[in-house]
Amino acid sequence: MNTETLQHPQGAAAGQTHAHDTVESVSGLSPKALHYSRVFELFVVAAIIMLFAGAIHLHVLLLAGDWDMFLDWKDRQYWPLLSPVVMIMFPAALQGIFWTYFRLPIGATVGATCLMVAVSISRPASFMWWTDYPLNLVLPAQMIAGAIVLDVFLLVFRNALFTAIFGGFAFAFLFYPSNYTIFAPFYVPVSHQGMMASMADLIGYVYPRSATPEYIRIIERGTLRTFGDSASWVSALFGGFICIFMHYAWWYLGIAMSSMKFLPNNAKVMALMGTKADVKASA
Amino acid sequence: MSKPVLEHSTSRGKIVQLIQKTMKMLLLWLGLTGLIGIATESAWAHGERSQEPYLRTRTVQYYDVHYDKQSVKVNEEFTLIGRFRLMEDWPDAVSLPDTVFLSAYSPGPMITRVESYLNGMPARQSFSKLELGRDYEFKLVMKGRVPGRHHIHPLLSIHGSGPLVGPGQWIEVTGAKGDYVQKVTTMNGIEVDNLEFYGTARALKWYAVWLALAAFWLLFWLVRPLLLPRWIALNKGREDVLISNRDITVGVILGVVVVAISFGGYMYAKHEYPYVVPLQAGTNKVDPLPKPAHSVDVKVLKASYDVPGRAMHVTARMTNHGTEAVSILEFATANLRFVNTQAPGADKAISADYPRDLVARGGLGLSDQKPLMPGETREIKFEASDALWEVERLVSFLTDVDSKFGGLLFFVDKSGNRLMTEVGGPILPTFTAL
Repeated sequence: MNTETLQHPQGAAAGQTHAHDTVESVSGLSPKALHYSRVFELFVVAAIIMLFAGAIHLHVLLLAGDWDMFLDWKDRQYWPLLSPVVMIMFPAALQGIFWTYFRLPIGATVGATCLMVAVSISRPASFMWWTDYPLNLVLPAQMIAGAIVLDVFLLVFRNALFTAIFGGFAFAFLFYPSNYTIFAPFYVPVSHQGMMASMADLIGYVYPRSATPEYIRIIERGTLRTFGDSASWVSALFGGFICIFMHYAWWYLGIAMSSMKFLPNNAKVMALMGTKADVKASA
Repeated sequence: MSKPVLEHSTSRGKIVQLIQKTMKMLLLWLGLTGLIGIATESAWAHGERSQEPYLRTRTVQYYDVHYDKQSVKVNEEFTLIGRFRLMEDWPDAVSLPDTVFLSAYSPGPMITRVESYLNGMPARQSFSKLELGRDYEFKLVMKGRVPGRHHIHPLLSIHGSGPLVGPGQWIEVTGAKGDYVQKVTTMNGIEVDNLEFYGTARALKWYAVWLALAAFWLLFWLVRPLLLPRWIALNKGREDVLISNRDITVGVILGVVVVAISFGGYMYAKHEYPYVVPLQAGTNKVDPLPKPAHSVDVKVLKASYDVPGRAMHVTARMTNHGTEAVSILEFATANLRFVNTQAPGADKAISADYPRDLVARGGLGLSDQKPLMPGETREIKFEASDALWEVERLVSFLTDVDSKFGGLLFFVDKSGNRLMTEVGGPILPTFTAL
């Protein structure tokens, strides 16, 4: 293909700025090249959705596990703490990549949306259609609210550190209120066998999960319950504090993972890889 | 001119070949997946035979298990009652029953749990500190939900050890799954027509709201040149064309809207549901059943398992501490039942609802059928012989690190009163017929 046809007719050069410059004009790509670029972007978007929907879903399954999976695990203490700490990892990495290479403040939202897409497929498919559990037993938490705010903080600050401090904190702190609207009906009290239970407890009891006995739930443990009604907010605050560090670490992890590193093609490395006789021996 | 055209057509041909190969691989994968799906049958049981013998013979011994129905309609309740003994000779490799949960083993929620009790206490939550060597009585009230033939067991889950199942029975559920209803009234008067769908529509609406906001934010950026032009512009140092003041304004407004919806929704939910409770946690204590007044002491002197004959031989010294003469009625272990057909009341020992696949046809053989008189001590040999040892995969206890057996020995007096004694001890394999 003739590369000259890919150049923009006006060919904006580095250092020349104009008031009406656009991304297209500055890039110097011709309309044809821009068309090809757009087609390429469609493939990239499709690949990102599939790859990261799967990856983030697996990641949350492994690390947030039952707290995100089951209704009767969504307690006041661990759920608002652990879920955002786990869920910020991939969005932070994606944010780092999208911002560093493209100045796109959408990484966190991409991650949160990918997870939502994945759970929207997996929960009904695995639990409702395959194993006959009611969907309300496995309703997932959403992190889109926190992710959008995280992206907005990046857009405003344009700085990884400040985004981590304010955005990372906001991501976790918004998790509880933005999900409470979904799960509030499941905390209404019911009387069952002469004992009080929340509706979530009752749903967990009525539909047997043979390999998941009640005692396996890690909920409402520790002295944090002495804070009474405010236990969730204390958890949310602490989650926010942890998310500051988590965001910062995963931002740079994302950038590191999207960078290419090559081993130098010298005799030592070749000997190490076994493609050449030992350097010392040959010497 | 011809060379570039040739290269062009060659590369196009390669791409077409690659697409064709990919399509073939996809079709092959889909075909194989479909074939596996067709060839795979539903799981009929729960792998209860795969549990190590020492788990089934020396931990929880279920007895007097009864299913009041074996066929129910959708929404119809049935009851599963029984007792279990926590064996005194508890294996070292198994965690003690310090935290346990009573349940029913079923292939998913084909049936639902209505109520459960341990020694009359509600068993919605777990129990702590059950005692070894003592008996407990359970009751499970279940309800048919999904039509089909389901294998149901009583189940005691022990923290650190896992599930220990009782005798499984096939329960036929008839009707239509769509007819299943679970009505609930909350403590603050909310009438729930069906627990199955409670809160689901509300959750889906909120997911839709958040997804719509995410879609707006993503499309706001995706409609513009996305990757390559932005990357080139950034490398040229023209960050100014990548993010405009309009972008920041839209972002800030969206951020404010998100925060407002989050906290506004939270406040509204608080107003909508003023009385809420946290998830209920913690364990309950339950006392064991009272110890029986009289008992028979059994000391195992010698035990062996005849591998080719599939028979367990036990020689034991038995002392009757009661006031009535007693006969050996039954040896039970791992839900298998070996009944002495010559004992009084042997014909009624196995109830009609007990799973027949767990009853040994050969019964229990004794060296001496003479009743054990009050205060008498005698050495008696008994033989539990049946292919069930092999079918239930209980013979691999010979490979356990501590080759021991355990079980319950039932005695009966002439009035039909039963006495129960725990038996167990080291066992020796015999690889030729005795």
